[in-house]
Amino acid sequence: MAATVAPSQSLLSGGGGLHPLQAQGLHAAQHQSQQQLHQQHHQSQQQSGSDGESFDLTSRKLTLDDFVRVRTLGTGTFARVVLVRPSHGTEAERSKVYALKILRKTEVIKLKQIDHVRHEREILADVSGHPFITSLVASFSDHDFLYLLLDYIPGGELFSYLRKFRRFDEDMARFYAAEIVLVLEYLHEQQGGIAYRDMKPENLLLDAEGHIKLVDFGFAKRLGNNDNDHPVETYTLCGTPEYLAPEVIHNKGHTTAVDWWALGILIYEFLTGYPPFWHQNPIEIYKQIVEKPVIFPHDPPISDAAKDIIRQLCTVDRSRRLGNISGGAARVKAHPFFEGVDWEAVAQKRYRGPIIPPIRYPGDAQCFDVYPEDDVNKEEYTSDLESRYDEYFKDF
Amino acid sequence: MSSAGFTSPFGANTNPFGSGRVDSGPGPMHRVVEEDENDAVTSPTTPSFGLTNAGGGSVFQGPFGGDATSDAPPSGLRSPLNPETYPAQYNFGRRTSVSAESLKPVADTYDNWTPPVHPKSQEQIERLKEAMSGNFLFSHLDEEQTSQVLGALVEKPIPTKGIKVITQGDPGDFFYVVEKGSFDIYVNSKGSLQPGPDGMGQKVDTISAGGSFGELALMYNAPRAATVISAEPQCTLWALDRMTFRRILMESTFARRRMYESFLEEVPLLSSLTPYERSKIADALKSQKFPAGHTIIREGDPGHSFFLLELGEAVAYRSGNDTPVKHYHKGDFFGELALLNDAPRAASVVSKTEVKVATLGKSAFQRLLGPVEGIMRRTKYVGVKSGVEDTDPLHVPGA
Repeated sequence: MAATVAPSQSLLSGGGGLHPLQAQGLHAAQHQSQQQLHQQHHQSQQQSGSDGESFDLTSRKLTLDDFVRVRTLGTGTFARVVLVRPSHGTEAERSKVYALKILRKTEVIKLKQIDHVRHEREILADVSGHPFITSLVASFSDHDFLYLLLDYIPGGELFSYLRKFRRFDEDMARFYAAEIVLVLEYLHEQQGGIAYRDMKPENLLLDAEGHIKLVDFGFAKRLGNNDNDHPVETYTLCGTPEYLAPEVIHNKGHTTAVDWWALGILIYEFLTGYPPFWHQNPIEIYKQIVEKPVIFPHDPPISDAAKDIIRQLCTVDRSRRLGNISGGAARVKAHPFFEGVDWEAVAQKRYRGPIIPPIRYPGDAQCFDVYPEDDVNKEEYTSDLESRYDEYFKDF
Repeated sequence: MSSAGFTSPFGANTNPFGSGRVDSGPGPMHRVVEEDENDAVTSPTTPSFGLTNAGGGSVFQGPFGGDATSDAPPSGLRSPLNPETYPAQYNFGRRTSVSAESLKPVADTYDNWTPPVHPKSQEQIERLKEAMSGNFLFSHLDEEQTSQVLGALVEKPIPTKGIKVITQGDPGDFFYVVEKGSFDIYVNSKGSLQPGPDGMGQKVDTISAGGSFGELALMYNAPRAATVISAEPQCTLWALDRMTFRRILMESTFARRRMYESFLEEVPLLSSLTPYERSKIADALKSQKFPAGHTIIREGDPGHSFFLLELGEAVAYRSGNDTPVKHYHKGDFFGELALLNDAPRAASVVSKTEVKVATLGKSAFQRLLGPVEGIMRRTKYVGVKSGVEDTDPLHVPGA
């Protein structure tokens, strides 16, 4: 944890000023085990007393010192998501947990992801509140890092369950696919053309009741932002190799249609346990994606309706791809694979999730894998970088 | 959480997510307690796992096996997979997202980018074309893109033997074609070049003239998967960097798309399309080239597609009349009534010069937007300007 916290830098954090109640537990607990951290946390809670001043997360600019770090929930190339608790406030406030996504500015700049990070914050703010999307609570920054404070989704990644179960049966796959269809309908059709661009089991979390939450909007892009609502295709290659649509590989300009392709790959992976196109060498994956049809294994047997929806979603020709053709998401919902689904009931979460995550208490993180708490790259955010790039991060 | 009062809207046997999954059983907190006793149900190696349904909504109570109190990650508990039904080589780990640099078209950024041109002999160009012909990253390019890409390849002399052109583990920005000489490929199983005499690892291949390597670098910056070293003196490579390659493709596609959209705006039959619909149509248009004197559509033939004239000139004739009834220039369109009905073409259209047209079939149009009639009825169609046909397109002959 020491790496991303960078306590010495927190004094420099811009905007908002420092809160008098600094998270002593935070600094002292560096390099300690998680368990010790827990104890520390309890102690510091006791020290600050149960009658702490009320702490409203949305009332002012936050700093890292407003939180106590519990443990890492996931890591990416330039980001880390950490389970946190407020370091002060009333007892009720301090018992809440959040997921804090921490992005290192130097890595964001080095990997040329400034635009993506800005889109992520903007779009998350716009779509927060949807039942199947993670909610952004607040964003802030300090000298070295950008922070997105998100609702904590305790069930862990659908990826973990899929790998553990090896594959899902069609009822399970249908349940998750149905919730995802509603998310895509919302992003594409009700939010004016937001392409998500990184659909995969790793980015789908389960809430306490086993419903989907889509997380990581790092590649999400609003396509209609050029001039008066005119949707413009986008060209930056991004996504996950096995899930990339052919038009992304060919750099033809891509749209929300990439998410429907990815949904086809996802349903395939749900049902078989692996994606239709895979290889150790990514170039071979891309060759298959643009040249090869989707082939189904004999085992497990896959229903005709499931095969058909996968083929229709994974159609190279976008003028034939389900979801992109006339009718949009409504046509996907009307596909025989979803026969009998009451879409109102899906939207209202009235179907029971097929997996109920084993959550023992509100801040339980056992559904998440354990990650090293130390950052590999800790390049300095120099004053030169700061003067060149900090204006791009001012919205945080 | 136990959605009070909700019963299956389809009856017990028609629940699309399987019977018994509509919430009626105990809540998840109960389930956690139960799962300690349910090792057998949660074994991931049981082939029928997840297929049985005990009813009462408690099928999946133990996704983490019997050790729910442990902090071990779920995927860490995975048992070895049955190789007979599972691809043995598939890497079941988390997959990392990839991303290239953000690319924005010139029109958006107002800089004056044009693709670099490094002159080459016709012979060199033919060799390069040959070397790149089978490559999926180039095979779909149009003529203009291909010639720009060929022009952008820059010559890179490798004077001596033993020069590392790319190093395993390093960031990759260039794709190379071998013009002359040969190169050895080494892979170190550690994933990167190591210090010491055997640091390059195992030699896996040799690439000679006409071969190429490093193509992944044209997609995004990924660490190099191998070390490539010159195997003889006086080698020559052609190099192409990712930004140049991607910009060439993007700029030409972007410009063409905007051109199509502006052409489409001028088609009265499509005047009621929203910008979103127009952009979908622009996306589906296919470019075609015809030499001068080619009959693009023939009077009396059934019409199936619609044409936009991208480049060149064309004329329309009617039978029994040698004088053209209409002249077409860049941005003009013809045959649009084919989107509406299968009526025979009212005239022939012949290219006067070499032409480039963008074309769209009725079926593709309808797949994307639904029946044209519906779209046209959104606004009253005023048949002021149509391609050849002067009839009101809503007045379907014989109807």
